[in-house]
Amino acid sequence: MSVNYIPRRFTVVRDKELCINCGCCVRQCSNECHCFADDRKTVISHSADCVACHRCVDLCPTGALRIEKYVCDYRENANWTPQYQQEICRQAQTGGVLLSGMGTPKDYPVYWDKILLNASQVTNPSIDPLREPMEIRTILGRKPEKLTVEKKGKSTVEMPPQVILETPIMFSAMSFGSISLNAQKSLAMAAKELGTLFNIGEGGLHPDLQPFTDRSIVQVASGRFGVHSDYLNNSKIVEIKIGQGAKPGIGGHLPGEKVSVEVSNARMIPEGSDAISPAPHHDIYSIEDLRQLIWAIKQATNNKKPVCVKIAAVHNVAAIVSGCARAGADIVAIDGFRGGTGAAPTRIRDNVGIPIELALASADQRLRDEGTRSQISLVAAGSFRCSADIVKAIALGADACYCASAPLIAMGCHMCATCNTGKCNWGIATQRPELTKRLNPDIMYKRVVNLITAWNHEIKEIMGGMGINSVDSLRGNRLMLRGIGLSEKELEILGIKHAGE
Amino acid sequence: MKRIYAIEELCLNCRLCEVHCKTAHSLSKDVFKANKYEEPTPESRVTVYGNNFASAALNCRHCDDPKCVKACITGAMTKDKTTGIVYVNENKCIGCMTCLAVCPYGCIKQGKAAVKCDLCRNENEPACVKNCPNHALIYVDKGGEEK
Amino acid sequence: MKYIIIGASAAGLACAEQIRKEDKDGEITVLTKEKYLPYSRPSISSYLKGAVKENNMYLRKSSHYTSEGIHIVTGAQVKIIDRKSKTVKAGRKTYPYDKLCICTGSKPFVPPMKNVDGKENALTFLDLESAKRIKRLANPRTRAVVIGGGLIGMKAAEGLSKICKSVDVVELAPHILPSILDEKSAKTVKKHIETEGHIKFHLEQTVTEAKSSKNKIISLILKNGDEIACNLLLLAVGVRPETELAEKCGLEVSRGIITDPATMQTSDKSIYAAGDCTVSVDMLDGSKKIIALWPNAVNQGIAAGSQMAGGKITINKSFSVNAIDFYGLRICTCGLINVQGAKYSDKVICNGDRYKRLIFEGGRLAGYVLINSSENAGIYTNLIETGMDLSSLSGNLFDTPNPFLFVKPVRNKLLKGELDL
Repeated sequence: MSVNYIPRRFTVVRDKELCINCGCCVRQCSNECHCFADDRKTVISHSADCVACHRCVDLCPTGALRIEKYVCDYRENANWTPQYQQEICRQAQTGGVLLSGMGTPKDYPVYWDKILLNASQVTNPSIDPLREPMEIRTILGRKPEKLTVEKKGKSTVEMPPQVILETPIMFSAMSFGSISLNAQKSLAMAAKELGTLFNIGEGGLHPDLQPFTDRSIVQVASGRFGVHSDYLNNSKIVEIKIGQGAKPGIGGHLPGEKVSVEVSNARMIPEGSDAISPAPHHDIYSIEDLRQLIWAIKQATNNKKPVCVKIAAVHNVAAIVSGCARAGADIVAIDGFRGGTGAAPTRIRDNVGIPIELALASADQRLRDEGTRSQISLVAAGSFRCSADIVKAIALGADACYCASAPLIAMGCHMCATCNTGKCNWGIATQRPELTKRLNPDIMYKRVVNLITAWNHEIKEIMGGMGINSVDSLRGNRLMLRGIGLSEKELEILGIKHAGE
Repeated sequence: MKRIYAIEELCLNCRLCEVHCKTAHSLSKDVFKANKYEEPTPESRVTVYGNNFASAALNCRHCDDPKCVKACITGAMTKDKTTGIVYVNENKCIGCMTCLAVCPYGCIKQGKAAVKCDLCRNENEPACVKNCPNHALIYVDKGGEEK
Repeated sequence: MKYIIIGASAAGLACAEQIRKEDKDGEITVLTKEKYLPYSRPSISSYLKGAVKENNMYLRKSSHYTSEGIHIVTGAQVKIIDRKSKTVKAGRKTYPYDKLCICTGSKPFVPPMKNVDGKENALTFLDLESAKRIKRLANPRTRAVVIGGGLIGMKAAEGLSKICKSVDVVELAPHILPSILDEKSAKTVKKHIETEGHIKFHLEQTVTEAKSSKNKIISLILKNGDEIACNLLLLAVGVRPETELAEKCGLEVSRGIITDPATMQTSDKSIYAAGDCTVSVDMLDGSKKIIALWPNAVNQGIAAGSQMAGGKITINKSFSVNAIDFYGLRICTCGLINVQGAKYSDKVICNGDRYKRLIFEGGRLAGYVLINSSENAGIYTNLIETGMDLSSLSGNLFDTPNPFLFVKPVRNKLLKGELDL
């Protein structure tokens, strides 16, 4: 192709004064943006394939590199923005569906940023989390409709299986295939240390993760990859994946060339065969069918594992959540449309689904109205960027939150959103051995632990300010929230008052 | 004694160990000056061999019974009795490189005097280990215990 | 226990230190005929060219000998070993011994030449004393001639070329450094030395006669009749093992002192010998020869010392390994390099001024000659020493040897040693 219809996106700026020509960038860039000049000594950069992952910038020992946005103006047009024009050119070139990684970068409203938290003043005391106990332990699982006790006060109700988390933060599903084994291992080690759970995704269980299965959530997805009795029984929670926030209504397709020996073993499919996750579960066409699958899993696990149903946040999410709860799900996870992905069709990712804030609020309200909220657990997913987002989600009605992008960023992800290329320079979203080894689980799990520990401290601090000493008292406590700059309708759906009210 | 060991499976081939080794053994101790302007250019004591798929940094093993010390014709190469570090006295070394010819690990480089790892003698942790971004170099006792 | 060691260079010192390691109380006396504490003899050429100062030539600090309890007697020329009374005589003193080690090293070999013997500007070049004398005599007006193009002669010539007006080298063989180089590589080296050091070579020549005035040589006449001006003559034709003492006391001696190849014990059970004065068995072809090289001397000294103190260390591997440089040209050789026969083969890679010749014996490495390409030569040495089967290697043998030459299990051991990680 002689004409390049799409200008490059970034420019690598090399400060010749600072560059010592050590060649670290040359050997680190999987997009081959740096190379040695003909003299084999001077390092030069060409920016055509730069994705701004910052691998070279962060490793450069002298700080000689900088990534700049490549500014190439188009004639101003609010409708035909450069992005649409470029996407058209890309499709004109390939004839294919546009693919992207990570969550949508589009400028949809982030309601977390339009919700403010409360604090205690005079009429009720705030609590100092450094001096007084502060409970963030979270228990997931179906609770009995009501408690009956015998004379001595002992419960006579048989308690369904419960899962104890030391923090309301869990790691969301990322399969072996979409992320590297080392990344999964880091999350598993972090989950073990933090007393929370990691989700192994739909790609089956790699034998190396066997020691961490007691901290795992295993998925049963439409492809049923790697599902067998041990897989279900060694887990803490079994999750039926109906949909994913980034691509609701869409299945998955892992091309045969990516199905290596290890992937084929974990997924239990022949090596080199395409791994297709159908869009629907072919045995689930109704709530009744879902009920059957839940029942089957409970039989297979001898009623010892809570069963979670994960759905994407779509328009009638409240009714769907209610249906899942009635179908016997112990936990329902709702994944908002800003949630991440290893690869999704760009149009789906950027246009399908609704924000988690609204979905969570309406689902919680619906379950309360139906009187079943106290019996099941709600897990919110879809882009939690800081501890305040978590606190707001819990106050909107979530029992726990699924986080994935944040721990990935802790492990080096720079949101370059090219996960789908398989060339992740940080060793996260790739299976290439020379790249995956860049992620040393022994280092990275500590960073993830640090992150969540920091968030835990912050959650306790925020709760203390509100005068709340237990996460249970925060849950669904929408009085602690106020909207800012929101319309009547938005406030109604969120079930919160406007700031100042 | 504590020694530097390389873990091939974790080595990224970034060769930052070499950069930081040079810096640590330079006059200026400054990463720009040491690698760009200093004359003579300091030599790196550690060398990364291999490619992006399999690489490893090679450092002096500070053997218990070092062949280089036995082969040294000037007494410049010695093993410190208390620390166990094998190092070169650059004033005594005449650069004959007999040590290089007998080191079975290939850890000695030629220069005006022999160039080899001295475990950054005055530091708690050698520069290469301190600056390895993936902990592919570890500084441990023979038993594998850290510090 | 009384230990006496004659000679205080590589073997003698290694022997003394090894004895001290294994016998904390024994009385160790080292007798050296020189005026100096043990120093680096190979450094004398560096001393000559001014690259190293005298106080940096000493192998150990003088306090080392006191702390180790090694008594060094300088200026003690041993005249006789009395095996019956187990004593050695040096000067007027007699030293009794329980165990004795002879580490007398080599003496220069001087071929007969007319009118050379006894001239005050005709010198050999083997110890610090002679280096000092040469340094005193040499000046920018000196026309120096070195007879002998071997290791010692060439190093001396290099040293002299930094001081003198001109340096000529006369060598009998058709190429220089015949002991370590083959013909082709010798040519490269010769050219380098000629351009860098302005040394003039007279190959396949001998000196037949010297012309002198007032007990000083003024010129030399070569076999072909040429006359070359000379006011400093260095005799570096070669060295022979110094076996006089051993011979006189009736020990078994051939070209060198005969010892047990493992324990370094001589034909007398309480006398050992180590270093250049002994006959070694080359592990690579089993031949008996004099391996007059430092690492070999140290190993033998250690083995002798250990045996004398009742220890267990023996010699199992003797072979030659040598590294030297001329004006920045680095030469590294090891093992068998001048061998002939159907079982040997070799391969040469020549690239600019880099020259690499590997000699194979069947599927094993038997020797190498490396010029300006000696990086990590020790890995080759190790291949020779261990006799590793080359077909088990995974990398290219002719690249700079590195851990990736070996298959993963071997490599892991190289990188992580005994660690189980």
